Amino acid sequence: MKKEIFKVLTCIVIINITVISLFLLVNGNCAVEEIDSKYGDPPIIDGHIDLSAKEWSKAFKDNDIKLEDLPIKLWVMHDNENLYISVQIEIFPGYHSINEFIGLIISNSSSENKEDFIDARIIQFTNISTNKYNYFDYNVSDSVFLIDTEENGDGAAKLEKITSTYEFALPIKGDDTDKDDAALDYGNSYAFNITYGETQSYPDGIKKSAIVLINIQSLTPSIISITNLVLYVLIVLVFSIIGILLFVYIYRIFKLKEYMERYKR
Amino acid sequence: MSKIPKQPEKKQKASEKYQSDDNFAYRSVIISAILGVIAFIFSLLFNIQIITVFMNINLLWTLIDVSIKVIMILLFFLFIITSYANYKELIGKRLNWKDLIVFIFLSIGQTLLNPSVFILTLIGIFIILIYLFLIQE
Repeated sequence: MKKEIFKVLTCIVIINITVISLFLLVNGNCAVEEIDSKYGDPPIIDGHIDLSAKEWSKAFKDNDIKLEDLPIKLWVMHDNENLYISVQIEIFPGYHSINEFIGLIISNSSSENKEDFIDARIIQFTNISTNKYNYFDYNVSDSVFLIDTEENGDGAAKLEKITSTYEFALPIKGDDTDKDDAALDYGNSYAFNITYGETQSYPDGIKKSAIVLINIQSLTPSIISITNLVLYVLIVLVFSIIGILLFVYIYRIFKLKEYMERYKR
Repeated sequence: MSKIPKQPEKKQKASEKYQSDDNFAYRSVIISAILGVIAFIFSLLFNIQIITVFMNINLLWTLIDVSIKVIMILLFFLFIITSYANYKELIGKRLNWKDLIVFIFLSIGQTLLNPSVFILTLIGIFIILIYLFLIQE
C-alpha cells in the first residue's frame, strides 16, 4: 500500500515538473543578439538596398542571425527621426512563399516577457512574384493582433533574384507617438521579435522568430559629423597635394628625358 | 702589335655602359612612377571611401577592406620612393632624409579616416624602411 502511494506521489511530482517546465519553455524568451544601432543618413524605404548610393552604409550589420533555422541578414540604424531596420532573406528560387511576410513585434522596453510586446509592424507580400505588399501597424494585446487606428512608420519589401528585402522605418520619440505603439526613445534598449511567416494571419501565420535587443544610441551626430568633416577635409587635402606633386614629378621626368636625349646627341 | 690605341675603345665602352645604366635607371623611374600612380589611384578610391562595398559587412570583409587600403598605401610608398631615388640619381643627387620624411607624411596622411589602417601602414612603412636600410651597400 505504502509503495503504491509512493508511486502515485512520484508520478504527480514528475507530471508537475513536466507541466511547469513546458510552461517555462513557452514563456521563456531569450534575445539571440544585442545590437547597437548606428547613426546615419536615412535610407529610401523601397525594399532595395542601393550599395552604390551608400544606402545603409553606416548601419550595424549582422549576417549570422537565425530565425530558428532560417538565416537572415539584419541591418539596423537610426537618424534624428526614425529607427531603420532591414531584414534580408535568401532562399533558393521557388522556395519563397507567395504570401511571405516579415514582422517586428516590439516590446515597450528591453523586457522579453510576452505581455510587453505590445506593438507589431508587418510587411506582408500579397503576391511576391509581382512584388506587391502591404505594410501594417498592429497593436498587440494578449497575443491578439488589432489593427492600429493610426498607422505609424513605413515599410517596403522587394524580391530580387533569391533575396527578399524588407525595410522598416519606425518613428523615435515623436511628440505625437501613438499610445498603441511602443514609444521608442534614444538611449534606451528595446526587445524586437523578428518573425517570419508565409500566410496572412497573425500570430498563427508566424512560422519562425527570434528576439534581438536593439540599443538606440543617444544622439550625438553634430560632434561626430564635425570630427568626420575635419578628417575628410584633411584627407582630401592630402590626396590633392599628392596628386599635384605627382603631376609635377611626372612633368619633371619628361623634362629629364628631353635633357638626356639632348645630352646623348 | 696593334697600332690602334686601346684607351679610346675603353672610354667608348665606359660611355656606352654609362648610357645603358642611365637608360635602365630612367626606365625604372618611369615604370615605378606609373605603378606608384596606379597604387595612388586605388588608395584614393578606397581611403577616401569612394569604394565602400567591403565596409561594414562583417569582420572578414572589414579585414579585406583594411588590407586593400594598407597594401595600396605601402605600394604607393615603395614605388614612389624607388622612382624618386632613381630620378635623383639621374640628376646627380641622392635621396635624403628630408625627402623620406615627406614621403612618410604623404603616405600616413592617406590613412586619416581609419585608425586600423593608420597603425598597420605605420608598421608597414617602418618595415620597408628597415628593409631599404639593410639592402644598402
